[in-house]
Amino acid sequence: MTTDGRPNPYECGPVQGNHTAPPPDYSGMDRRGALRVGVTTAMAVGSVALGFALRDRGSHKNTRALPTIKDHRADKPAGATDMAIVRGSDPATNVRKAIEALGGMGRFVRHGERVVVKPNIGWNRLPEQAANTNPDVVAEVVRLVVAAGAGKVWMTDASVNTPEQCFARSGIEKAAKAAGATVVRPDASAFREVNVSGKLLRTGDVLFPFIEADRVINIPIVKQHGLSLASMALKNWYGVLGGQRVKLHQNIHLSIIDLAAMVKPTLTILDATRILLANGPTGGSLADVKQLDTVAAGTDEVALDAFGATLLGLNPNDVGFIVEGMKAGLGTPQWHNLKTVELGG
Amino acid sequence: MRIFLFVVLALIPPAFIGLMIRDGHRAPAQAAVPAGKPSSGAEADKTLLALFQGDLGGAKVKDKVALYDEKGLFDYIDGAAPIFIQRHYRKLAAADMASADGSDMDCAVYDMTEPANAQSIFDAEKSATAKPVADFPDAISGPMSFVFHAGRYYVKMTAFDAKAEAALPGLAKALKGKMK
Repeated sequence: MTTDGRPNPYECGPVQGNHTAPPPDYSGMDRRGALRVGVTTAMAVGSVALGFALRDRGSHKNTRALPTIKDHRADKPAGATDMAIVRGSDPATNVRKAIEALGGMGRFVRHGERVVVKPNIGWNRLPEQAANTNPDVVAEVVRLVVAAGAGKVWMTDASVNTPEQCFARSGIEKAAKAAGATVVRPDASAFREVNVSGKLLRTGDVLFPFIEADRVINIPIVKQHGLSLASMALKNWYGVLGGQRVKLHQNIHLSIIDLAAMVKPTLTILDATRILLANGPTGGSLADVKQLDTVAAGTDEVALDAFGATLLGLNPNDVGFIVEGMKAGLGTPQWHNLKTVELGG
Repeated sequence: MRIFLFVVLALIPPAFIGLMIRDGHRAPAQAAVPAGKPSSGAEADKTLLALFQGDLGGAKVKDKVALYDEKGLFDYIDGAAPIFIQRHYRKLAAADMASADGSDMDCAVYDMTEPANAQSIFDAEKSATAKPVADFPDAISGPMSFVFHAGRYYVKMTAFDAKAEAALPGLAKALKGKMK
C-alpha cells in the first residue's frame, strides 16, 4: 500500500482475496521463489548463448577447420613487363607473343609444379558465339604450361549450363586434352569445401584443383554481363564454386571480389579474340559478337579488367567490381601506368 | 507478481531460440511478387509446357523440357536473370531440341506474366544489328538465333549450325501458333 492507502502496483504481496496468506516479505523473495527466478534466469542466459550458437552454425560456419586456397602469385623479376596486349589473326600466336613479352611461361611455372587453367566454359555455346573462352587460346596456354615442365595440368570450370554440353560445344575440352591437360568436369565429387573468408562469402565448395595446384592461370573471355556490366578476369572466379548461383548475385560486385581475393592467380590471359557486346553472359546471336583478334596477359586482374572494359565501351570507373577490386588492393585500373607492351594491330 | 515474472522469464528461452534460428537460416530477400501474377501457377506451368507438345515445325525436344522459377533462373542464365525478374518473369521452359535433320538447337520460352512485360524484355534485349523478320511481327533474327514475343511469352532460340539455323523460323511459327 502507498502511504495514502491506495494499492501499490509495484508491490510484491499476497494474491488479492487470499486473506490467509502470510504477510509479504519485503526484504526479498522467499528461498523457493528466489530459486525459481534464479533457475529461470539461468535458462534464459543459456538460451541466449544457445541461440547465438545455432545462428552461427546456420550462417557463419566455424571456418577454422576448413582448408584455404593458397596465394598462387609468383614473384615479379626486377624490370619485368606487367601487361602485354597482342593483336593478330591467330589466337595461339597472340598467346605465345603475350607470354613471351611477359618473360616466358618459365616466369610463372616451374618444373614439376601442378597447374590449373581456368577458362570460362559456362555456356552451351559455340566458339563463334563468344560466351566461352576461345578454345585455341586455352589450348595454347596448356601447351606453354606443359612445355615449361609442369608436372600436372588441370583444366576445369563450373559450368552454368549442363557441363557435358558446355565442355563439348565450346570445343575447349577437346582442345585442352589434345594439348596435354587433364580435364576435370564439375561433378559433385570434384568439389571440396573451403574457407573463403570474404565479406559476403564465408565458405564455399570449390573445384579441387584450385586447392591442390601450385599455380593457377585464369583465362577469361571479355563479354557484356547483364548484372555486373562485364564478365572478364575477376568475374571468372564464379566458376570455381559449386551450388546454386542465386546466392552469388545478392551483391554481385562484392561476391566477385570475395572470390578474386581468395584465388590470387599466378597469371591471367584475357581472351578478346571475339567479344560479346550484348545479351551476356549467355549470348547466342552472332549479331552481338565482335571480332577483335586480341589477347592481353598479365598479373594484375584489375588492370586487365579495366583494359577489357574499354573494349566493351565501358568506363572502368563505372564497373563496380573493378572499383571494389582496386579498393581491396587486388590491382589498379590504371593499366596505362603499368609497364605494358602492345604488339600487332 | 511473482508468477507473472516467472512466466515472462520462462517465455524468454523459446522466444529467443526461435528468433536466433530464424535469423540464422533466413532465406535471401525475394523480389516483390509481380503484379498480375496468375492465381494458379500450376495451370500456367501446364500451359507453358504444352507449348512444346504436338507439331513443332519438324523440330523435336531431345530429352525433356525443364522449368525454372526465379531462383532457378540464375542456374540457366546467371547474371541475365535480374532483368527478367524486374519485368515480372514467372517461369522459364527450356529444352535442347533437334531439327528434322538432327541438327542441335535450344529453345527457351519465358512466361513474362503479361504481354507488356514480354514486349519490354524483347525491346531490352534486342540486338542493334539484328534484323526484323519478314511476315513475322515482333521477331528478330541474328545469325544463329531467332527471338520473338507473342502474348505473355518471350522466346529465344539458338542454333548450333547452319541447318539448325534454317529450321528456327519453322519452330518459331509453330510455337507462336500455340500461343494464340
